[in-house]
Amino acid sequence: MDNEQTLIQRAQKGDHAAFAALVDDHQRYVYNLAMRVVKDDNEALDLTQETFVRAWTALPNFRGNSQFRTWLYRITTNLCYNRLPGLRRSLADLGDDVLPDIPESDDAPTNPARELETSETRTYLHHAINGLDANYKLLITLRYRDELSYDEIAGLLNLPLGTVKTGLFRAKEKLRIALANYHAEEQWTIS
Amino acid sequence: MDDFLTPNEQNLIIEDALRSYPMATMPKSITELVLARIQTEPVPRFQFTRSDYVLAVVLSLVLGAILFALQSLPPYALIQIRIQGILLWQSFLVNYRWLLPFTSIMLGLSLAGFAFLQLLRPQRVEQ
Repeated sequence: MDNEQTLIQRAQKGDHAAFAALVDDHQRYVYNLAMRVVKDDNEALDLTQETFVRAWTALPNFRGNSQFRTWLYRITTNLCYNRLPGLRRSLADLGDDVLPDIPESDDAPTNPARELETSETRTYLHHAINGLDANYKLLITLRYRDELSYDEIAGLLNLPLGTVKTGLFRAKEKLRIALANYHAEEQWTIS
Repeated sequence: MDDFLTPNEQNLIIEDALRSYPMATMPKSITELVLARIQTEPVPRFQFTRSDYVLAVVLSLVLGAILFALQSLPPYALIQIRIQGILLWQSFLVNYRWLLPFTSIMLGLSLAGFAFLQLLRPQRVEQ
Protein backbone atom coordinates (compact mmCIF):
# COMPACT_ATOMS: atom_id res chain seq x y z
CA MET A 1 0.00 0.00 0.00
CA ASP A 2 1.43 3.37 -1.02
CA ASN A 3 1.64 6.06 1.59
CA GLU A 4 -0.18 9.33 1.10
CA GLN A 5 2.89 11.28 0.05
CA THR A 6 3.63 8.82 -2.75
CA LEU A 7 0.00 8.89 -3.87
CA ILE A 8 0.06 12.69 -3.98
CA GLN A 9 3.27 12.73 -6.01
CA ARG A 10 1.86 10.18 -8.45
CA ALA A 11 -1.42 12.11 -8.72
CA GLN A 12 0.52 15.32 -9.38
CA LYS A 13 2.05 13.57 -12.38
CA GLY A 14 -1.44 12.78 -13.68
CA ASP A 15 -1.95 9.28 -12.24
CA HIS A 16 -5.72 8.82 -12.01
CA ALA A 17 -5.48 5.62 -9.96
CA ALA A 18 -3.41 7.36 -7.31
CA PHE A 19 -5.90 10.21 -7.16
CA ALA A 20 -8.77 7.71 -6.90
CA ALA A 21 -7.02 6.20 -3.86
CA LEU A 22 -6.78 9.66 -2.31
CA VAL A 23 -10.48 10.27 -3.00
CA ASP A 24 -11.30 6.93 -1.36
CA ASP A 25 -9.29 7.83 1.71
CA HIS A 26 -10.61 11.34 2.25
CA GLN A 27 -14.10 11.56 0.78
CA ARG A 28 -15.97 10.68 3.98
CA TYR A 29 -14.17 13.40 5.92
CA VAL A 30 -14.83 16.00 3.26
CA TYR A 31 -18.45 14.86 3.02
CA ASN A 32 -18.80 15.05 6.79
CA LEU A 33 -17.55 18.64 6.84
CA ALA A 34 -19.82 19.63 3.94
CA MET A 35 -22.79 17.89 5.55
CA ARG A 36 -22.30 19.78 8.81
CA VAL A 37 -22.55 23.04 6.92
CA VAL A 38 -25.16 22.49 4.21
CA LYS A 39 -27.35 19.89 6.02
CA ASP A 40 -28.49 18.31 2.76
CA ASP A 41 -27.33 14.92 1.45
CA ASN A 42 -27.31 15.81 -2.21
CA GLU A 43 -25.73 19.19 -1.78
CA ALA A 44 -23.06 17.74 0.50
CA LEU A 45 -22.31 15.04 -2.08
CA ASP A 46 -22.13 17.67 -4.80
CA LEU A 47 -19.77 19.78 -2.69
CA THR A 48 -17.58 16.77 -1.99
CA GLN A 49 -17.39 15.91 -5.66
CA GLU A 50 -16.61 19.50 -6.60
CA THR A 51 -13.93 19.64 -3.92
CA PHE A 52 -12.06 16.71 -5.44
CA VAL A 53 -12.42 17.96 -9.00
CA ARG A 54 -10.94 21.29 -7.94
CA ALA A 55 -8.28 19.51 -5.94
CA TRP A 56 -7.28 17.63 -9.10
CA THR A 57 -6.87 20.81 -11.10
CA ALA A 58 -5.03 22.57 -8.26
CA LEU A 59 -2.89 19.56 -7.34
CA PRO A 60 0.27 20.84 -9.08
CA ASN A 61 0.15 23.80 -6.67
CA PHE A 62 0.01 21.59 -3.57
CA ARG A 63 3.42 21.91 -1.94
CA GLY A 64 2.75 19.84 1.16
CA ASN A 65 2.98 22.80 3.54
CA SER A 66 -0.16 21.53 5.24
CA GLN A 67 -1.74 18.13 5.50
CA PHE A 68 -3.53 16.99 2.37
CA ARG A 69 -6.85 16.75 4.22
CA THR A 70 -6.48 20.27 5.60
CA TRP A 71 -5.80 21.46 2.06
CA LEU A 72 -8.98 19.69 0.90
CA TYR A 73 -10.90 21.31 3.74
CA ARG A 74 -9.73 24.71 2.55
CA ILE A 75 -11.25 23.99 -0.87
CA THR A 76 -14.44 22.70 0.75
CA THR A 77 -14.87 25.74 2.97
CA ASN A 78 -14.26 28.07 0.04
CA LEU A 79 -16.99 26.24 -1.87
CA CYS A 80 -19.24 26.50 1.18
CA TYR A 81 -18.53 30.23 1.37
CA ASN A 82 -19.54 30.56 -2.29
CA ARG A 83 -22.76 28.62 -1.83
CA LEU A 84 -23.71 30.11 1.52
CA PRO A 85 -22.73 33.78 1.43
CA GLY A 86 -24.09 34.21 4.96
CA LEU A 87 -21.64 31.66 6.39
CA ARG A 88 -18.56 33.84 6.13
CA ARG A 89 -20.46 36.76 7.59
CA SER A 90 -21.81 34.70 10.48
CA LEU A 91 -18.29 33.47 11.26
CA ALA A 92 -16.84 36.96 11.09
CA ASP A 93 -19.69 38.27 13.26
CA LEU A 94 -18.59 35.99 16.08
CA GLY A 95 -16.07 38.68 16.92
CA ASP A 96 -12.99 38.06 18.98
CA ASP A 97 -14.01 38.90 22.52
CA VAL A 98 -11.53 38.08 25.22
CA LEU A 99 -12.96 34.93 26.75
CA PRO A 100 -11.74 32.80 29.60
CA ASP A 101 -9.88 29.70 28.48
CA ILE A 102 -11.65 26.49 29.21
CA PRO A 103 -9.11 23.70 29.60
CA GLU A 104 -9.65 20.82 27.23
CA SER A 105 -9.23 17.41 28.69
CA ASP A 106 -8.74 13.88 27.46
CA ASP A 107 -9.34 12.44 30.92
CA ALA A 108 -10.47 8.89 31.21
CA PRO A 109 -13.86 8.51 32.85
CA THR A 110 -12.52 8.46 36.39
CA ASN A 111 -14.34 11.63 37.31
CA PRO A 112 -17.65 11.00 39.13
CA ALA A 113 -19.38 13.22 36.60
CA ARG A 114 -18.26 10.91 33.84
CA GLU A 115 -19.82 7.99 35.62
CA LEU A 116 -23.09 9.88 35.77
CA GLU A 117 -22.90 10.54 32.10
CA THR A 118 -25.19 8.14 30.34
CA SER A 119 -25.48 7.39 26.70
CA GLU A 120 -28.77 9.28 26.85
CA THR A 121 -26.98 12.45 27.89
CA ARG A 122 -24.53 12.03 25.06
CA THR A 123 -27.31 11.43 22.56
CA TYR A 124 -29.13 14.50 23.86
CA LEU A 125 -26.00 16.60 23.41
CA HIS A 126 -25.47 15.17 19.93
CA HIS A 127 -28.96 16.39 19.06
CA ALA A 128 -28.07 19.76 20.56
CA ILE A 129 -24.90 19.89 18.43
CA ASN A 130 -27.01 19.02 15.41
CA GLY A 131 -29.23 21.98 16.13
CA LEU A 132 -26.36 24.48 16.28
CA ASP A 133 -25.84 27.00 13.50
CA ALA A 134 -23.60 26.00 10.57
CA ASN A 135 -20.78 28.30 11.68
CA TYR A 136 -20.54 26.59 15.08
CA LYS A 137 -20.76 23.11 13.57
CA LEU A 138 -18.01 23.95 11.13
CA LEU A 139 -15.73 25.04 13.97
CA ILE A 140 -16.66 22.05 16.14
CA THR A 141 -16.04 19.56 13.35
CA LEU A 142 -12.62 20.98 12.56
CA ARG A 143 -11.62 21.18 16.21
CA TYR A 144 -13.02 18.02 17.72
CA ARG A 145 -13.48 15.63 14.81
CA ASP A 146 -10.36 16.50 12.87
CA GLU A 147 -8.41 17.74 15.86
CA LEU A 148 -6.99 20.76 14.08
CA SER A 149 -5.29 23.40 16.20
CA TYR A 150 -6.82 26.84 16.65
CA ASP A 151 -4.13 28.25 14.37
CA GLU A 152 -4.86 25.71 11.66
CA ILE A 153 -8.59 26.45 11.84
CA ALA A 154 -7.95 30.19 11.71
CA GLY A 155 -5.71 29.75 8.67
CA LEU A 156 -8.14 27.42 6.96
CA LEU A 157 -11.19 29.62 7.46
CA ASN A 158 -9.22 32.84 6.97
CA LEU A 159 -10.40 34.15 10.34
CA PRO A 160 -8.59 35.80 13.24
CA LEU A 161 -7.46 33.38 15.93
CA GLY A 162 -9.63 35.17 18.49
CA THR A 163 -12.74 34.62 16.37
CA VAL A 164 -12.09 30.88 16.23
CA LYS A 165 -11.67 30.72 20.01
CA THR A 166 -14.77 32.84 20.57
CA GLY A 167 -16.83 30.68 18.23
CA LEU A 168 -15.80 27.47 19.97
CA PHE A 169 -16.37 29.02 23.39
CA ARG A 170 -19.86 30.14 22.43
CA ALA A 171 -20.70 26.76 20.91
CA LYS A 172 -19.73 25.13 24.19
CA GLU A 173 -21.77 27.67 26.11
CA LYS A 174 -24.83 26.75 24.07
CA LEU A 175 -24.20 23.09 24.82
CA ARG A 176 -23.72 23.91 28.49
CA ILE A 177 -27.19 25.50 28.52
CA ALA A 178 -28.60 22.47 26.69
CA LEU A 179 -27.01 20.18 29.27
CA ALA A 180 -28.46 22.24 32.12
CA ASN A 181 -31.91 22.07 30.53
CA TYR A 182 -31.55 18.33 30.10
CA HIS A 183 -30.73 17.80 33.76
CA ALA A 184 -33.50 20.15 34.83
CA GLU A 185 -35.97 18.13 32.75
CA GLU A 186 -34.67 14.91 34.23
CA GLN A 187 -34.98 16.19 37.79
CA TRP A 188 -38.49 17.42 37.08
CA THR A 189 -39.44 14.00 35.69
CA ILE A 190 -38.03 12.21 38.76
CA SER A 191 -39.80 14.52 41.18
CA MET B 1 -27.18 26.89 35.09
CA ASP B 2 -26.99 23.29 36.15
CA ASP B 3 -26.32 23.06 39.87
CA PHE B 4 -25.92 19.26 39.70
CA LEU B 5 -22.52 19.31 38.06
CA THR B 6 -19.53 21.57 38.51
CA PRO B 7 -18.42 23.65 35.50
CA ASN B 8 -15.45 21.35 35.06
CA GLU B 9 -17.66 18.27 35.05
CA GLN B 10 -20.00 19.91 32.58
CA ASN B 11 -17.01 20.70 30.43
CA LEU B 12 -15.87 17.09 30.48
CA ILE B 13 -19.30 15.85 29.44
CA ILE B 14 -19.60 18.43 26.67
CA GLU B 15 -16.16 17.65 25.32
CA ASP B 16 -16.93 13.96 25.40
CA ALA B 17 -20.07 14.65 23.34
CA LEU B 18 -18.14 16.86 20.94
CA ARG B 19 -15.47 14.22 20.37
CA SER B 20 -17.99 11.40 20.01
CA TYR B 21 -20.29 13.35 17.68
CA PRO B 22 -20.75 10.80 14.89
CA MET B 23 -19.58 11.43 11.37
CA ALA B 24 -22.20 11.80 8.68
CA THR B 25 -22.58 8.59 6.70
CA MET B 26 -21.94 8.92 3.00
CA PRO B 27 -24.88 7.57 1.00
CA LYS B 28 -22.56 6.47 -1.82
CA SER B 29 -18.97 6.65 -2.92
CA ILE B 30 -18.14 9.47 -5.29
CA THR B 31 -14.82 8.09 -6.54
CA GLU B 32 -16.23 6.96 -9.89
CA LEU B 33 -18.01 10.27 -10.44
CA VAL B 34 -14.87 12.25 -9.66
CA LEU B 35 -12.78 10.05 -11.95
CA ALA B 36 -15.30 10.46 -14.75
CA ARG B 37 -15.01 14.23 -14.41
CA ILE B 38 -11.26 14.44 -14.18
CA GLN B 39 -10.74 12.20 -17.21
CA THR B 40 -11.82 15.19 -19.26
CA GLU B 41 -9.78 17.63 -17.20
CA PRO B 42 -6.09 16.81 -17.54
CA VAL B 43 -3.75 18.17 -14.89
CA PRO B 44 -2.85 21.69 -16.01
CA ARG B 45 0.89 22.02 -16.43
CA PHE B 46 2.94 25.15 -16.75
CA GLN B 47 4.82 24.95 -20.02
CA PHE B 48 6.03 27.30 -22.75
CA THR B 49 4.44 26.98 -26.16
CA ARG B 50 6.15 27.79 -29.45
CA SER B 51 4.24 31.08 -29.72
CA ASP B 52 5.55 32.09 -26.26
CA TYR B 53 9.12 31.73 -27.55
CA VAL B 54 8.34 33.62 -30.77
CA LEU B 55 6.66 36.43 -28.83
CA ALA B 56 9.59 36.66 -26.42
CA VAL B 57 12.10 36.91 -29.31
CA VAL B 58 10.04 39.56 -31.14
CA LEU B 59 9.59 41.66 -27.99
CA SER B 60 13.30 41.41 -27.20
CA LEU B 61 14.21 42.51 -30.73
CA VAL B 62 11.81 45.45 -30.62
CA LEU B 63 13.04 46.61 -27.19
CA GLY B 64 16.64 46.18 -28.31
CA ALA B 65 16.01 48.14 -31.50
CA ILE B 66 14.36 50.99 -29.57
CA LEU B 67 17.22 51.19 -27.07
CA PHE B 68 19.79 51.01 -29.86
CA ALA B 69 18.00 53.72 -31.84
CA LEU B 70 17.76 56.00 -28.79
CA GLN B 71 21.41 55.59 -28.01
CA SER B 72 22.41 56.18 -31.62
CA LEU B 73 20.52 59.45 -31.98
CA PRO B 74 22.48 62.70 -31.64
CA PRO B 75 21.76 64.73 -28.46
CA TYR B 76 20.08 67.47 -30.52
CA ALA B 77 17.55 64.98 -31.93
CA LEU B 78 16.81 63.63 -28.44
CA ILE B 79 16.08 67.15 -27.18
CA GLN B 80 13.79 67.74 -30.16
CA ILE B 81 11.90 64.54 -29.42
CA ARG B 82 11.46 65.54 -25.80
CA ILE B 83 10.20 69.01 -26.78
CA GLN B 84 7.76 67.55 -29.30
CA GLY B 85 6.52 65.13 -26.68
CA ILE B 86 5.87 67.94 -24.20
CA LEU B 87 4.06 69.99 -26.85
CA LEU B 88 1.92 66.99 -27.83
CA TRP B 89 0.99 66.37 -24.19
CA GLN B 90 0.12 70.04 -23.67
CA SER B 91 -1.99 69.99 -26.81
CA PHE B 92 -3.81 66.94 -25.51
CA LEU B 93 -4.45 68.58 -22.14
CA VAL B 94 -5.83 71.73 -23.78
CA ASN B 95 -7.95 70.24 -26.57
CA TYR B 96 -8.86 66.71 -25.51
CA ARG B 97 -8.82 66.82 -21.73
CA TRP B 98 -12.43 65.65 -21.67
CA LEU B 99 -11.28 62.33 -23.10
CA LEU B 100 -9.86 61.19 -19.74
CA PRO B 101 -13.09 61.33 -17.63
CA PHE B 102 -15.16 60.30 -20.64
CA THR B 103 -13.08 57.16 -21.21
CA SER B 104 -13.10 56.33 -17.49
CA ILE B 105 -16.87 56.70 -17.27
CA MET B 106 -17.47 54.66 -20.42
CA LEU B 107 -15.16 51.92 -19.19
CA GLY B 108 -16.90 51.86 -15.79
CA LEU B 109 -20.34 51.71 -17.41
CA SER B 110 -19.23 48.89 -19.72
CA LEU B 111 -17.90 46.85 -16.80
CA ALA B 112 -21.06 47.48 -14.76
CA GLY B 113 -23.22 46.44 -17.73
CA PHE B 114 -21.17 43.30 -18.24
CA ALA B 115 -21.42 42.40 -14.54
CA PHE B 116 -25.17 43.00 -14.59
CA LEU B 117 -25.62 40.75 -17.63
CA GLN B 118 -23.60 38.03 -15.91
CA LEU B 119 -25.89 38.25 -12.88
CA LEU B 120 -28.96 37.90 -15.08
CA ARG B 121 -27.66 34.69 -16.65
CA PRO B 122 -29.20 31.52 -15.10
CA GLN B 123 -26.88 29.60 -12.76
CA ARG B 124 -25.47 26.37 -14.19
CA VAL B 125 -26.38 23.38 -12.04
CA GLU B 126 -23.64 20.77 -12.02
CA GLN B 127 -24.49 17.15 -11.50
